[in-house]
Amino acid sequence: MIVSGLEATVQQPRLSAFQWALLAPGAVLLVVLLVAPIALMAVVSFRPFIAGRVGSGAGWTVRNYTELIEPAYAFYFYDTLRIGFIVSAIALLLATPLAWQAARTKRRAMRVSILGLLIGLLFMSLVARLYAIQMTWGSNGPLAFFGTLIGIPARSAGYAAIQVAIGLLHFVVPMAAIILIGTFQNINPKLEEAAASLGAPRWRVALTITLPLAVPGLLSAFMISFAMCISNFVVPLILGRGIVLFTTNLMYVRFSDVANFPSGAAIGIIMFALAGFVVYALAGFVRWLAPAEARP
Amino acid sequence: MNGLSRRDLLKISAATGLGSMGLPGVDPALAQQGEQLLVVMWGAAWIEVSRKIVDAYVAKTGDKVAWELHAGGAMAIVAKVKPAWPRVNYNLISGWDPVFRAMIKEDWIEPVTLDEMPALKDIPPVFFQKNDKGQLMSVPLSTAGAFWGYRTDLVDKPIESIEQLLEPRFKGKLCVPFPVNLTGLLMLTLAMQRGGNERNIEPGWQFLKELAERGQIGRVINNNSEFINAMSSGETSVAFFNIGAWTQVRKQFPVKIMSKIKDNKGFLFNEGFAVIKQSDPKKVAAAKRLANHFATPEINEQYNWPLGEGPTNPKSKANPDIADVFYKPDELAQYAYIADFEFMASQVDSWAKRWEQEIAPLIRRS
Repeated sequence: MIVSGLEATVQQPRLSAFQWALLAPGAVLLVVLLVAPIALMAVVSFRPFIAGRVGSGAGWTVRNYTELIEPAYAFYFYDTLRIGFIVSAIALLLATPLAWQAARTKRRAMRVSILGLLIGLLFMSLVARLYAIQMTWGSNGPLAFFGTLIGIPARSAGYAAIQVAIGLLHFVVPMAAIILIGTFQNINPKLEEAAASLGAPRWRVALTITLPLAVPGLLSAFMISFAMCISNFVVPLILGRGIVLFTTNLMYVRFSDVANFPSGAAIGIIMFALAGFVVYALAGFVRWLAPAEARP
Repeated sequence: MNGLSRRDLLKISAATGLGSMGLPGVDPALAQQGEQLLVVMWGAAWIEVSRKIVDAYVAKTGDKVAWELHAGGAMAIVAKVKPAWPRVNYNLISGWDPVFRAMIKEDWIEPVTLDEMPALKDIPPVFFQKNDKGQLMSVPLSTAGAFWGYRTDLVDKPIESIEQLLEPRFKGKLCVPFPVNLTGLLMLTLAMQRGGNERNIEPGWQFLKELAERGQIGRVINNNSEFINAMSSGETSVAFFNIGAWTQVRKQFPVKIMSKIKDNKGFLFNEGFAVIKQSDPKKVAAAKRLANHFATPEINEQYNWPLGEGPTNPKSKANPDIADVFYKPDELAQYAYIADFEFMASQVDSWAKRWEQEIAPLIRRS
């Protein structure tokens, strides 16, 4: 009797037919729009490519994967993940104070201004912003001296990477800030007030109360920023000067310019697996770091 | 509003039959068909001049033309058509020789005949792409080329040979196309500089490595717009690209196009339309009507003049601004080269990978 009672307590609640019916349209859409295309891409990645033709040939091969073992390709994957990681970290640093201010300020005008800025940035054409960055920070732009100041010549590849990072920040900071506003709004301000009333200075309240409780939101913002960075195509295309190439750019060349669909698909599948691994590992690491009460 | 608009005038002239005298290449019996066409065209000056030409054509014939722009190089359209074939809505695709070769291989193009497209009778047969049966498969509209060139206001002394591009003064100042672009003509010009050719491309790779290692390459471009931006902003001052894009830069800045250099060549090719196969014969006929219109002497001249490209119709006049770029008959053998694009198209996949593996990392670290 005791054993069966325990079984009863750990048994998962079963979904009713109505709940299944509610889930069905979303599940079908997910399968049709996400799972099926990725599965098809995985199949195509094992097809051979016939030089001079378009698409994929008949038969099976692993060559599309083995040719990516070249160290040069490891660099492209590394560079994409590295720039994505750095930009996401900087985005969090920039977005957190903005979001905190928007969530906590008692001045309505301030909150509206911050939200207006963030939403305005989301709606403003990214391509227009990228060309503005190119004109301002490009090797002939008025702010090109910035590169020289930090020892990176404006015509160098390193400077192109900085421009790409600036472009990606334009893209992800508003998104990260909007996610974090919700996070900070959901933290009960009485906890911070209690710590302050016990004599904790503001920096200590921020580090020991607010920050740990915000970890899940920070993690979400980071992971979404990271995913947006590493899957970005247009920013390295416009600001990378053809020198800073993300894996998305390599895929585009394969699919679009050379019509080698199998090779492009293989890069896509590897990137998909790598990104999944990085996000999963990162989520595990942060869960391990975060206090139990802050865990989702 | 007072008076008549241009469109009103054209409608009235069409209704009274007067218009048929003024619109070349359009058979009055075929007018007023009212077919909807989708045409793929390049951006920048190409779409601007095409829209102007088609505005009058649409008013006259009743056909409607929607435009779609090439994204990246023209070859990208081939990859776009492949997954959708045969359910594609394109009626005419602008392209150039290697793109037509790829589409002929896939059997996407409708053959054209001189009977149904009389303007083609004027165009020299050598300009057409043909299939294995000898049928005409392209509608050549422009004779274009790819050349080295530089902005004379940004380069301190003239360039006589592309070997000079290794000099320190050109560090970060070279703009080159990704090797897939122009079907690898960049690789060919570099190879020919060191004694190679299409089938012996290795000397080109060695030259390219030297340029990349020394940090000479400041920008790698994929299309006309990127080229025009890079050269107009002064970000780069020396480049290898097609004459159409060079012409746009030449409108604003002093440019020397090196089409006649002693130790290298200029590369000639044809641009034009391919009529895409469709199940509806009326659409095919309308597409051929429009392509024929572009090939008539008057329109062919109007089309090529702002592009800075040579008209394929010998009855059309070429823009005098390009006289210094193109060749007189006795200069062709010495300075011009027509590449084996069919062979090069079969190599671009391996060239693109080699670029990614050997050249791009060198540029990135330079």
